Amino acid sequence: MRGRASRPSDEAAVDLTPMLDVVFILLIFFIVTSTFIQEEALGAEPPPPQTNAPSNPAPAIIVYIDETDQIRVNRKLTDISAVRGGMERARAENPESALIIQAHPEARTGTIIEVRDIAYDAQMERVNIVRSAG
Amino acid sequence: MARKAREAASSAEDDVNLTPMLDVVFILLIFFIVTAQFIREPGVEIDRVDVNNKERQNPLGILIAIDGNSEIYMNKQVVPLSEVGFRIRELREDNPKGRLVVQADSEAQAGVLIDLMEVVNEVDNLGRVPLSVVNQ
Repeated sequence: MRGRASRPSDEAAVDLTPMLDVVFILLIFFIVTSTFIQEEALGAEPPPPQTNAPSNPAPAIIVYIDETDQIRVNRKLTDISAVRGGMERARAENPESALIIQAHPEARTGTIIEVRDIAYDAQMERVNIVRSAG
Repeated sequence: MARKAREAASSAEDDVNLTPMLDVVFILLIFFIVTAQFIREPGVEIDRVDVNNKERQNPLGILIAIDGNSEIYMNKQVVPLSEVGFRIRELREDNPKGRLVVQADSEAQAGVLIDLMEVVNEVDNLGRVPLSVVNQ
């Protein structure tokens, strides 16, 4: 009794061990739960709402991707490497035209992303990705 | 002489000075608390396409994945398309600011991706849906 009462006042020491335990547990929790996910992404436009889709007077360049991943730029069968040339030629003819990437529902996602990337490279404006019927 | 006296005192007490270690531990703790982002990962392996026009998404908030079999995954579960909107709203409660990123496998069907983009646009009002592109 006497010893316990006299010692802390001599030392003025606080027992840090319980706090350290708590701090370590918190530290371990945050280390374990922390996730360092980095994502790099390409922006892709969803289809416009159905209501104003039919009233589209501007001529559009249509890049069609069919179910076997063949690409047609304005109905002309085009290799992926020639898509940019095809887009730019079509834009030169009609500078105001929008670009519509029309994909068959069974086409590969990868092809759409590649075509959208090419459209960024070609600095196309007003791009839309839509689904073809059937 | 003084040294000898100090040594004797320390051995008697068995005292280690914990203050510097505590400082370091607190700094680590604060670092991990601040950087912690509680993202619910979709939990599927995705084969992505590498492209030229990519943008780092920061801070990240919600991840939605479409795997090679065209199934939508959120938070390690398959989610039917009709439920995706609800799940996004649910996750937005916890994380109102983080960016939403769609991780689409390059072999997934385009129809599923386009449907998903429509839902995301409707729920989250994104003009452009970020599609994850580079494999880690």
